[in-house]
Amino acid sequence: MPMQQEGAAVVRGWGRCLLLQCRVAFHGMFVRRFSRLMQGLVLGLLGFLPPVSHAHDVLGNLNAVGSDTMAELMLRWGERLEQSHPGVRLQLQASGSASAPAALIAGTTLLGPMSRQMLPRERASFTERYGYPPTAITAGKDALLVVVNRHNPIESLSLRQLDAIFSDNRQCGGEEAIEQWQQLGQDEPPGRIHLYGRNRVSGTHAMFRRIALCGGYFRNKVNVFPGSAAVVSAVGSDPLGIGYAGLNHLTADVHVVAIGEPGQAVVPSRQTLRNNQYPMARHLLIYANLPPGGSLPPTEQAFLDLVLSPSGQEIVEELGFVTLSIPQLNLQRRQLGLPELGSKDDVR
Amino acid sequence: MPEPVPFSSLHRHRQRRDRLATALITAGGVGVLLAVLAIGIFLVTGVLPLFLSDNGPSLTALWQPQANVDGVVEYRWLPESLKGGGIPQVNLLPLVWGTLEAALWALVLAIPLALGAAAHSSLFMSPRLRHRIRPTLELMEAMPSVVLGFIAGLVLGPWVERHLAETFTVIAALPLGILLVAGLRRCLPGAIRHWLSLRWAALWLIPCLAGSVIVALWGASYWENLWFDGDLRAWIEIHLGLDVQARNALILGLAMGFAVMPGIYALAEDALSDVPKELCEGAQAMGATRWQTLTKVMLPVALPGIFSAVMIGAGRAVGETMIVLMASGNTALMSANPLDGLRSLASSIAIELPEAVMGSSHYRLLLLAALALFIFTFVVNTLAEVVRSRLRQRLVRQRSMR
Amino acid sequence: MKIPGHAAATGASRRWQGEGPWAWLSAAAVALSLLMLGALLVLLATRGLGHFWPADLHQLRLADGQRLIGVPVETRQLPDDSGYERRYFTANRDHQGGIWTWVAEDAIEQDRTPNDLIVLQRGRWGAFFGRLVAVVTETERFGGDRAWQALRQRLDHLEELRQQSESLRRDHILPLIRQMERMKEHSRLSEQLTELEQQALTLQRAMTGTVLVLETADGKRFEQPLESVLDAWHPNSMGSVEKLAHWSRGVWQFLSEGPRDANAAGGVWPAIFGTVLMVMLMSLLVTPFGVLAAVYLNEVAHQGRLTRWVRIGVRNLAGVPSIVYGVFGLGVFVYGIGGSLDRLFYADTLPSPTFGTGGLLWASLTLALLTLPVVIVATEEGLARIPLHQREGALALGATHFETLTRVVLPMATPAMLTGVILAVARAAGEVAPLMLVGVAKLAPQVPVDGEFPFLHLERKFMHLGYHIYDAAFHSNDVQAALPLVYATALLLVLVILVLNLTAIFLRHYLRLRHGVPVRR
Repeated sequence: MPMQQEGAAVVRGWGRCLLLQCRVAFHGMFVRRFSRLMQGLVLGLLGFLPPVSHAHDVLGNLNAVGSDTMAELMLRWGERLEQSHPGVRLQLQASGSASAPAALIAGTTLLGPMSRQMLPRERASFTERYGYPPTAITAGKDALLVVVNRHNPIESLSLRQLDAIFSDNRQCGGEEAIEQWQQLGQDEPPGRIHLYGRNRVSGTHAMFRRIALCGGYFRNKVNVFPGSAAVVSAVGSDPLGIGYAGLNHLTADVHVVAIGEPGQAVVPSRQTLRNNQYPMARHLLIYANLPPGGSLPPTEQAFLDLVLSPSGQEIVEELGFVTLSIPQLNLQRRQLGLPELGSKDDVR
Repeated sequence: MPEPVPFSSLHRHRQRRDRLATALITAGGVGVLLAVLAIGIFLVTGVLPLFLSDNGPSLTALWQPQANVDGVVEYRWLPESLKGGGIPQVNLLPLVWGTLEAALWALVLAIPLALGAAAHSSLFMSPRLRHRIRPTLELMEAMPSVVLGFIAGLVLGPWVERHLAETFTVIAALPLGILLVAGLRRCLPGAIRHWLSLRWAALWLIPCLAGSVIVALWGASYWENLWFDGDLRAWIEIHLGLDVQARNALILGLAMGFAVMPGIYALAEDALSDVPKELCEGAQAMGATRWQTLTKVMLPVALPGIFSAVMIGAGRAVGETMIVLMASGNTALMSANPLDGLRSLASSIAIELPEAVMGSSHYRLLLLAALALFIFTFVVNTLAEVVRSRLRQRLVRQRSMR
Repeated sequence: MKIPGHAAATGASRRWQGEGPWAWLSAAAVALSLLMLGALLVLLATRGLGHFWPADLHQLRLADGQRLIGVPVETRQLPDDSGYERRYFTANRDHQGGIWTWVAEDAIEQDRTPNDLIVLQRGRWGAFFGRLVAVVTETERFGGDRAWQALRQRLDHLEELRQQSESLRRDHILPLIRQMERMKEHSRLSEQLTELEQQALTLQRAMTGTVLVLETADGKRFEQPLESVLDAWHPNSMGSVEKLAHWSRGVWQFLSEGPRDANAAGGVWPAIFGTVLMVMLMSLLVTPFGVLAAVYLNEVAHQGRLTRWVRIGVRNLAGVPSIVYGVFGLGVFVYGIGGSLDRLFYADTLPSPTFGTGGLLWASLTLALLTLPVVIVATEEGLARIPLHQREGALALGATHFETLTRVVLPMATPAMLTGVILAVARAAGEVAPLMLVGVAKLAPQVPVDGEFPFLHLERKFMHLGYHIYDAAFHSNDVQAALPLVYATALLLVLVILVLNLTAIFLRHYLRLRHGVPVRR
């Protein structure tokens, strides 16, 4: 596998060298005597270039500003990129999704990782500043899980039931508030439902509110934690608990409830997320400042190349999110002007 | 004053430098004091637009309960309702309630512990031990609240939730165990009794306490099975209709009591040892036991000092942030059930302020919460300080009269 | 006059028995406080330090035929009281999806600790528990007993290569990149860079090639490239000396490395660094102002009613909740001053803020304000302790007020000031709530000090030990996995604060010895 990748990298490097007329670091040495085209062609034809030539333009600082949910992911990608291109250094500012649009508009960065979509307002001010909209690149998928204690036998809940459990004003139109586990038609566990959730600044909170509560308000009985891991851990130790969290927080302490009407309930899995069956899915996005018809600078390009490659997607999976399928990856690679992946580079 | 001529320029220089330095120090000192006052001014100016502007939440929303679709009338803290149109439901009362409830439970634990410890160390404890105990309890006060919050929220809370009966048994067993030990000690032969003296009781009681905790843990399931069908938590939930949450006011009170206790102890002990020695000695000479001396003679004199100690403790408990944030469920409820969650002003500020847009109503509401905390603690502390300094002056006067 | 020690011996013990139950309960109050404090410290120490001890691996066979290898973590009662279940840390996230397995105690048929089980610490997918079957290099295959030795050898070699590669990057490549960023014409540099890159890639290629053949508990074999293995050990056959060595290495790594896995693994070095730097900046800010204010209140100001009220006010500020200071810092320093600085000097990068967001400077300033009363009160106490005749003597000899102050009074009050500053540092090191508003970060890969001009980056966010505890306990991917590190970090923080407080206590003790009996105000 490493040999294959390296081979592919060499081929890519040579291809680009010829196509992009080899805007490489060597040019300083010869630029006085040869035109760039000549140099690229001559050296290329003579087989003079060392095999790392593809890395030459890829150096310097790579700036990214945005989501703290994706901080770990960005850092791991950066680490991986530094391995294949030792001259790159990732500078990440992870102070929250809201900082990404501001930085993109200001031009302090070309890449803005966000765990939510850009608001119309943010998109509009970007377009106003540059004359074209920002390009959204989906790097992976995440889902909101509804979790209960591992000893709780419940299998599925409908969105309406979720609303009746969590909501104060039941915007989705449930008839009565559900406060006991018995109201869900089961004997176990005996007692009241204990609710656990996130604080309202989190994207998870906002998304659950939008999808499951139809924009209504949470009950004030919901235990509010400032982190999803704490929600899962609290549900894991409370036999009467129910809560929601992101996919990467799933542990053996809790079990995941399928979402949907009885009989059609969908369990969140790689499959159901990829074909958009699961109702509470979200994308991990990287917004890029990409002019139409143009391309990103080589460092940024190489970063996105990695993100949308099998080895980048491996990291997505390792951190507990769901990877994209090859066609999905290729669709985005085309958009960025990256070579498409062959079918044999399958992602696990 | 006549000056030798050759020194005059140096002298002038020194005098100028002296005046300059004094002016600088004054400026610096006054500046620092002004900076400190600025906190209050900043909070007030930040909050005022909330009441002056027309598009903010109406004032009644801050303290009157509102009904939801089911007609359930409740106090709700829902800052997201500020944006979504409709009537904003931003009631500060549940937060104030939660703050006071948490502080109350903290004091319920801290006051007996602190005052007991103060009484013991000023009356009975051997001076050698006493010189060690004070700094040790000071270390206890320095324990970072984030550590206490972590222990209370992630370790103790879930444990208590699973072992409710054990917890109550331990609480009951501690005083009983001590009395039992004290009773047993009377039956011991003199030599051992001398060795187990009250003066060193603070040390040799520790293993006894640990022992009674172990016995309580071991015996708890017995009566839980006998009276509550083996599950006290389910029994409370079903028969009493009360919620039992893992992160509740009791746990919070325990952690915060731990945090405030040393402060109250130090001030209360100061107050007790400021009582003139002649008074105590007089009482003891008349045949009073030391405990009688304490309750009848020392306490009345030291009461203002003890009151101020408790006030300062209350001030700290009200403003405690990290413990409440980590060990309470942050549920904005107004229930008197100590096994239910709560949400305090301070923890609301900590989680909501970083994302509240500057200048929005939500931001200003949180500033209002901060202002409430500021005023409350300032008033409480000032009161305590005034009471304390009055007491000091009175004692000093008494002493100088003799 | 009480005669301690004599009472019981001379038969006055009847009086002691007559003290009644309350006397004993009050003694129990002290004992209970000490017990709670001790229990807390023991809990932190055992959990925090125990995590680094290489625990024995258990191999289980369950009633349903399933096999697993893991470390027992905790035991809980089943909800229907039918027995107990045990949580095992089973690692191998790449093969079984999670790292925990709950096993009912009744279901365990066999529980052994075979000597051939190994633990691999990997750069990806976390730890691995299982057996080593063989080490396969490009030319050779080491199986059986030779496998472990071959693995150890290659790991040592790999570690060397890693260090070389790291130092190449740190000492040569990164400075070069910085240089290139500053200069327009960099053809010569990029030539150098290409060469260095070539070297780095050669080093990396040297790391690859070796593959481990591993076997999981259920007998599944798979290949693991060696280059992503960081460390390997076989806990069941290690002696206690070996274990101790392993333990100390673990503790050292915890102190010296950066965090991994969303703060749930790795070390806390950036947090230690951030805490210390912030506290140092804070004490630089708070000491002069605190001393100035104390000197003003005690030596310069007219001792009237106003000064008394001001003094009460300052003392009470020590009781104002820290979160209120945080709100003040956010509103005044960050939004107010920081926002104006941005508009004036960093207008080109707006709307992305430079000083208009939380950062090192604002955090230090806020904490300086927070600890100001501590320094003022301690310094004032020290000043009040100095006998009046010392000052009068100096004045009588012809010194001005200023000279009296700098030559006589302040030197004598130095221990008091130091005590105040140390107490302030101890308080600031443990304070988290205000920092959450004014500049602490969950993950700050770049420390605020580096080789780039101006070397100390006051506008950067930083990591903090206290906040690290909060963050790892709530925001990491898995609370259970993060718990040991939270304990260890908490222990570290408590130790730092204990040491600071002990220093302050000893200083104060020394001060009292030097200036005689304590004077109370």
